[in-house]
Amino acid sequence: MFQRLLVQLLCVAILNLGSPLVAQAGLIGTLEAVEADTRAQDFATVNAVLARDQVRQQFAALGVDPAQVESRLAALTDSELRMLAGQVADAPAGASALAVIGIVFLVLLILEAVGVIDIFKKFP
Amino acid sequence: MRAVRAASLAASAATLALAGCTARGPQLAPANPGAFAPQVELVATPFFPQRDYQCGPAALATVLAAAGVSVQADDLVAEVYLPARRGSLQAEMVAATRSRGLLPYVVPPSMQSLLEQVAEGRPVLILQKTGAGPWPGWHYAVVVGFDTLEDQIVLRSGTSYRLEMPAARFLATWDRADRWAMVAVAPGEMPANPDFARYMQAAAGLEAIGRIEAATLAYEAAVREWPAEALPLLGLANLAHARGDLAGAEQGFRAAIERAPGDAVARNNRAAVLLELGCPAAARREIHMAAALADAGPHEAAVAATRREIEAANAPDVAGCPPDPAPANSRP
Repeated sequence: MFQRLLVQLLCVAILNLGSPLVAQAGLIGTLEAVEADTRAQDFATVNAVLARDQVRQQFAALGVDPAQVESRLAALTDSELRMLAGQVADAPAGASALAVIGIVFLVLLILEAVGVIDIFKKFP
Repeated sequence: MRAVRAASLAASAATLALAGCTARGPQLAPANPGAFAPQVELVATPFFPQRDYQCGPAALATVLAAAGVSVQADDLVAEVYLPARRGSLQAEMVAATRSRGLLPYVVPPSMQSLLEQVAEGRPVLILQKTGAGPWPGWHYAVVVGFDTLEDQIVLRSGTSYRLEMPAARFLATWDRADRWAMVAVAPGEMPANPDFARYMQAAAGLEAIGRIEAATLAYEAAVREWPAEALPLLGLANLAHARGDLAGAEQGFRAAIERAPGDAVARNNRAAVLLELGCPAAARREIHMAAALADAGPHEAAVAATRREIEAANAPDVAGCPPDPAPANSRP
């Protein structure tokens, strides 16, 4: 009896997880109206709640202060969350050109040492 | 080594010559000369030198402060910096701008659009991709000026207060970042030469995260700029509904339908409000038109749900409801 109830409960829970587009009666939001015409709707099949959870986990894993995670999530729209879900770790993240400058310098130094170029005049 | 050097000198002379005669031409020549001044520099733009890898917070602080928000780069670290990525995501740069009540307008990806923003006095946050192969480097900076005569761009970048960059080099790095650029616009103002869809995306984002006052100002500005468009009126009507002004919302949706009789969203929302106003018969007429328009579209499920709710209501319309037949202006 108890098992049967548990199975039924789980079924309901899983079904709810899998149905991202349980439409609600009433007003359609402005952003949904705007995004219906744009490519943002490509992501509409991803459940916004799941996307939010996923981004939450990724933020925590990437070192965001736990006290800041929720307010950062709150500033993102559903379509941004859907877009970010699963790719916070790969999406372009503006950082700094410093590392690149270091690498370029190293390459120049090696080329200089092997004699391909001669730009460091005082280098023996 | 000397011989090698001579050879490389010759090679670079050849490259120079090539650059001199096959010149790709200046990058900054405006498509329609006279559209803006040949040289512009927003010298009053503040500067927040970046620390560590935090070019995102520093560049964002620059455009926010230029738009009149009191902010320090350090305040933004907690909002846009991802420690393990040593960087900031574009979506979060947009979100942080939005959560300060400014309109994050993502500029169309062309040099012309970028320069127009600067020429109208707004510094532009841009993303550049430097580096190569396994060492991609992403960098945020702020365009504060340009010189079409010298063909160069002026940036607040990293630890440089004033970085002059040849336009071709800037374009190469900006291209590789898909020419991403954003301006922070005070709500109620318009970016230079605004694109309707991009503007409305930014304005609706303000509404979506609950910046109601900013969203209202942004929609009102859109009504002034694009009086024939329905979407800004839909936005204002949704806001009216959210604050409980049902009559105002119904009127707003009706105005939106007048401009776009084929807009299923405006009809769906008007129908839902008519039901709330105690007018199920009028609501039913409207939702039937919405359902026909939404068929197989992105809003089909939402419209069907509203329709079920309306069809379940059997009471007659209260006094003051729109009479049958529906007003001429709500016919498709």
